[in-house]
Amino acid sequence: MHRLNPFVSAVALATLVFLYLPMLAIAILSFNRTRYGLQWNGFTTDWYTRLFQNTEILEAARNTLVLAVVSTVVATVLGTLLAIALERYPWGQRSRGWLDNLLYLPVVTPDIILAVALVVAFGALRAVSSTFEPGLLTMILGHVTFQIAFVALTVRSRLQSLGRDLDEAARDLYADYGYFVRRVLLPLLTPGIVAGAMLAFTLSLDDFVISFFTAGPTSQTLPLLIYASVRRGVTPEIHALSTLIFLATVLLVLASERLTRR
Amino acid sequence: MQATPQKPVSSLGKFVVWFGELTTPSRLYRRGLWFLLPAVVWILALLVIPGLALVALSFAERGQYGNVLWHWNLENYSRLLGYGIFGWSPDTIFILLRSIWVAFVTTLICVVLAYPLAFFIATRPARTRYLWLALVIIPFWTNLVIRTYAWQMLLSPEFPFAKVAHALGIIPADGALYPSAFAVYIGMITAFLPFVVMPLFSSVERLDWSLVEAAQDLYSNRVRTFFQGIWPQTLPGLTVGIILTFIPAMGMFVIPDLLGGAKYLLVGNLIQQQFYSSRDYPYGAAVSLGLMILTLFGLAIYRRRGQGVELV
Amino acid sequence: MKRLLVALLALSSLAFAQKEMRLFIWSEYMDPAIIKAFEQKYNLKVRIDLYESNEDMVAKLQAGGVSQYDVVVPSDYIIPSMVQLGLLQPLDQSKIPNLKNLDTKFKSPPYDPGNKYSAAYQWGSVGLMYRKDKVKTPDSWSVIFDPKGTGNYVLMDSVREMMGAVLKYQGQSVNAKDPKAVQAAGKLLLDAKKSPRALGFEGGVGAKNHLVAGQASYAVVYNGDAIKATGENKNVAFVVPKEGATLFLDNMAIPAKAPNVEAAHQFINFILDPKIGAQLSNYNRYATPNAAAKPYINKDDLKNPAIYPSAAIMNKLEFILDMGSDSRLYDEVWTAVKSR
Repeated sequence: MHRLNPFVSAVALATLVFLYLPMLAIAILSFNRTRYGLQWNGFTTDWYTRLFQNTEILEAARNTLVLAVVSTVVATVLGTLLAIALERYPWGQRSRGWLDNLLYLPVVTPDIILAVALVVAFGALRAVSSTFEPGLLTMILGHVTFQIAFVALTVRSRLQSLGRDLDEAARDLYADYGYFVRRVLLPLLTPGIVAGAMLAFTLSLDDFVISFFTAGPTSQTLPLLIYASVRRGVTPEIHALSTLIFLATVLLVLASERLTRR
Repeated sequence: MQATPQKPVSSLGKFVVWFGELTTPSRLYRRGLWFLLPAVVWILALLVIPGLALVALSFAERGQYGNVLWHWNLENYSRLLGYGIFGWSPDTIFILLRSIWVAFVTTLICVVLAYPLAFFIATRPARTRYLWLALVIIPFWTNLVIRTYAWQMLLSPEFPFAKVAHALGIIPADGALYPSAFAVYIGMITAFLPFVVMPLFSSVERLDWSLVEAAQDLYSNRVRTFFQGIWPQTLPGLTVGIILTFIPAMGMFVIPDLLGGAKYLLVGNLIQQQFYSSRDYPYGAAVSLGLMILTLFGLAIYRRRGQGVELV
Repeated sequence: MKRLLVALLALSSLAFAQKEMRLFIWSEYMDPAIIKAFEQKYNLKVRIDLYESNEDMVAKLQAGGVSQYDVVVPSDYIIPSMVQLGLLQPLDQSKIPNLKNLDTKFKSPPYDPGNKYSAAYQWGSVGLMYRKDKVKTPDSWSVIFDPKGTGNYVLMDSVREMMGAVLKYQGQSVNAKDPKAVQAAGKLLLDAKKSPRALGFEGGVGAKNHLVAGQASYAVVYNGDAIKATGENKNVAFVVPKEGATLFLDNMAIPAKAPNVEAAHQFINFILDPKIGAQLSNYNRYATPNAAAKPYINKDDLKNPAIYPSAAIMNKLEFILDMGSDSRLYDEVWTAVKSR
């Protein structure tokens, strides 16, 4: 494996530490006795016990997770297909230009415009069927709309980095297109797909504006809850939840690494 | 890397060789359409078509109660250009320039920090590579508002960072490092770094190290090695990363508000203001449309210049 | 036959027991104990969704929420617009006998004569929060707007309230329509923002944090936020400057297509009960518009001028009125203040 300049490694690790600093602060805050302030007022695990009794927050956490996972899966599939279509098929110059613009549209559109467009779309669809009442389904549909672009762009850049040689060599060997896609193209694309999926997941977890306009009474998510308490102060139960989620994901990632090693 | 050619090479009658595959153009297009249509139809149905309603909205007028009066006029656009009740004022231009500046600096810092990170991850043994990737992105799975509050706390007078800054004479005693431009950029990096790291990583991972070694043989200077051997190969990922960071950063307002003291309206604030406190949807639609057109225009120029670049 | 009827009755009462009441309300405005009491009394389940501004709520209702929520809590100035936009339905006052408990000042307000669409919930005002250990008790907005003042301050990030404070300082109404007056207010606010003593614009919690941490000596806030801050730091106090400020009155209302109108009325009536009304105000430390609830309010709160201002101050407090087409005036001035 190529050795990296120690200075570069140091900068990378320092950046990583910088990224983890807020988590440390949140963990500290979750044990702070004060309800509101930033001053340290004594250690307590009260907030953790209160968290598990707070059905509202737990339900929001569950909704947020379901929403993020489902929308990421759908968006990754659609986005990858879109990227392959754009990079590996001979569309004309003009159609390519239009498709590019279409691809960039969700990225270029301000959140709130996307949200209002979705409201208009769902309003029209509601006339046809009542499954489009604001709720988890509309939220998923809304999230996928902007996630597709991020996934497609990331996967496409990966495709651009791959040469034709591998494709051509593989096609010489395998006659069946489906086989080629499954055994050659997708594995080669995997880093791009994973990177795109992670981006999409991150976007969904933090989304407020689009969720706000497409959520129904039974589909409250964490960002909605948190933004609602921005003015009055985030409750430490949320800090406790954030710390727990953070620890859980780190442990999960480490565990999966351990398992795949074998 | 080669740019995808525009037309299939055709010297075999109705057959064609495309990426090593022998097929007919129509079969190719049909298959391509299957790949293309799901996403395209989705975006068309849920964004483009309802978006047209918004285009129409930008030519309408705000009614007495925040309702929409469909009297066609260009009032919103002249207001966008600065012609308000009090005559012409440069406020909208200030807002736009400031947003561009903040987005530009944010993107720059993120790019500078993303390279070491992307390379670090890419040079880990294949076994642990995705582990490191996950470790990089996990902090971003905590809600941004929460992280911003955490930075408020970290930059407050009681914490060591402010004390160090005071010792260095940068701020007065009891002062805090927020609200300030410094705090805003820290917050923005906290929000946007993965948007550069992820695409960049997907390009860096594909790096042809033999080219790098060739460059090292040719140039004694490390910097030139980087720019001739490494930089061009990472261009696709870098381009995507820049686009995915710069554009959303222009519309960002939560962090400048929370960490910068909300002293200046940015484009995101302006749009938000129209849809919330002013309930002037037509003007809001006009501002958004103006922003989008500007951005798409800038993107088109950026891409056209990029197409001339000869990739290694 | 009889057994079938009994079974049907049992099933239908079971169906009733599952019914919901959906409340859409400002965050931290409702005591969970009150919700529990309501749930038990009427055998309903209450679902609560939160919002942070009236405009959020209106936007949500327009996006489909109008048929999903039973009770919303809009502020005074937005009710006329909501009525015009067809978002609210008239109250059936026969189902709300407790309406008579309201203080005369808050019964039949100018924006909703006869309480046709709304019933008062809580009220409060904007004012100055300050550190008693760092500065003298202020009595005028000049501590902020006079360039010769001392002490750092935080401004409120809300158009009408902040502009209202400046307009009052200049002897104008908070609903001034004269472009020159509004522009002059904007100029003063811009100078205040640019002063080195200004920490910026903040919402309630941000301002409170700065004050409690000692970075600022003054902050423009709602009285409820200030009261909550006194719980954290004994040196924080609140006062309404002598020139006056804006007043707000939040109300309960029923969206036009509410799914459970019956429960909505029951809820509104429940809140207007004297003991419940007092419990509510004792919880969120805002002022109650319910005259019959006064005997049950914390004695200290009743005597606290920050929550229940004196008659003289009450005269100087003004309701914000929706400006309609003139709101563009305030928009442009605010944009100018925030972009230079």
